[in-house]
Amino acid sequence: MSAIVNLSQLHKDHGDFAERVFKMSGQDVRKCYQCGKCSAGCSVHIFNGMDVSPNRVMRMIQLGMEQEVLNTRSIWACVLCSTCTARCPRDIDIPRVMDALRIEAKKRGITQKFKNANVFHDVFMNSIIKYGRVYELGLFIGLKLKQSGNLFADLEMGVPALINAATRLPKFPPKVKNPDEIRKIVENCKRIEGEK
Amino acid sequence: MRYAYFPGCSLHSMETAYDRSVKAVSKHLGIELWEIPDWVCCGASSAHSVGHLVGLAIPAKTLVKAEKEGLDVLAPCAACWQRMVWVNHEVNTSPKMKEKISKAIEEEIKGTSKIFSIIDGLAAVGMEKISHAVKKPLKGLKVASYYGCYYVKPPKVAHIDDPENPQLMDEMMKAIGAEAVDWPFKTECCGTSLIFQDLDTTLAMSKKVIEMAVKSGADVIVTACPVCEMNLDMRMAQINKRFKTSFHIPVVYFTELMAYAMGSTPQEIGLDKGHCGETKSLLAKIS
Ligand code: SF4
Ligand code: SF4
Repeated sequence: MSAIVNLSQLHKDHGDFAERVFKMSGQDVRKCYQCGKCSAGCSVHIFNGMDVSPNRVMRMIQLGMEQEVLNTRSIWACVLCSTCTARCPRDIDIPRVMDALRIEAKKRGITQKFKNANVFHDVFMNSIIKYGRVYELGLFIGLKLKQSGNLFADLEMGVPALINAATRLPKFPPKVKNPDEIRKIVENCKRIEGEK
Repeated sequence: MRYAYFPGCSLHSMETAYDRSVKAVSKHLGIELWEIPDWVCCGASSAHSVGHLVGLAIPAKTLVKAEKEGLDVLAPCAACWQRMVWVNHEVNTSPKMKEKISKAIEEEIKGTSKIFSIIDGLAAVGMEKISHAVKKPLKGLKVASYYGCYYVKPPKVAHIDDPENPQLMDEMMKAIGAEAVDWPFKTECCGTSLIFQDLDTTLAMSKKVIEMAVKSGADVIVTACPVCEMNLDMRMAQINKRFKTSFHIPVVYFTELMAYAMGSTPQEIGLDKGHCGETKSLLAKIS
């Protein structure tokens, strides 16, 4: 990330960003006073899974660094464990903010930083739309075909573990009487969200 | 006691040891489970990142079936449980969201069924009754109860116990005669949801949990979350390879130990073959 930011320019162009995040997530990030407690307990951050710590994500929203924050890895890396929420003295539900930023980034097509995770979400949604329940084997094959990266990384799990897991995996898709239910809900939601 | 049972996808797929042991414990304790007919996937962990409404509406569809039956829900999967708790939270605090969800699922959601996790759902029968049902106390077994992140956080919405140092699972382990190890990482996240994107971080997070349980002297880690269980159990060999460690601690569901103590055989509940890791040492210790 660039080290120098032009605060007055940001304020002029994106001064309402915190307000928009508030509307999207129900969380008022302006209340954050940068104590850093959220980051201190965030395992993902501690193990270097984020490019920007959670408290800095909050600060970037306050400053109107809209483009920058939507382009972080952190908004996708957050595992929504809510450890930070439990400890935030300003009562901010940080993962809800992360989730809202993800939805926004996805809308704008900014998903490169976490391409595989996004492929996962897509394949997962397709699976439950099609079957009503998760069909893991289908999901797994779909993922392996579409994700970039090491196709054989799973071998590292060790052969006995893999064999045990494979024997427990159902070979056929689940059967529900109403596999169409989720598809209908997804369509309805799109319509309702579009209405307002 | 009668619950509407929502097993969720994991319990019907790979994690049958969880499903079987939950059913067995319930039977031992006289809890009746009515499986919600034609339940659908709760949508975790993707739907809520696709859209807020869709993340609520999908689990609401299953929840409404329990409401109609007038029953509280028992959802042993931590993710399913939390998704449903969020639905109730929104329905009961925002009339506007309630209306939107109802529209999306084309029937009215009322928010009248309580959502129990397997931890508070079983604890509700009382520790005394639990210890009365025990036939084979698990004397001398040191258990690290791993709650994970979903059951206790965020405390305002989804919590069954103290967010930093929960006790319910420990209490139940004591009630079946085992020793509950006091350890600091009860509610740390295992990192599974990053697995498809950032394996390194997932493995580092999981390693930390396993390591702490071992250091605290536990013979076994018990969980109440199919995602944690699958991750810690299945990835242990991989963790050992990466970090040159030699962990071999079994990771099982707390309900398996409960059912076993109450008289179920390992075969009945999957304690023999339901896991990637070795459970022989564990079985030797408790038989
Ligand atoms: S814990 Fe809360 S107040 Fe403190 S830095 Fe994080 S978000 Fe801000
Ligand atoms: S919810 Fe996200 S930001 Fe908060 S502690 Fe967990 S991973 Fe970190």
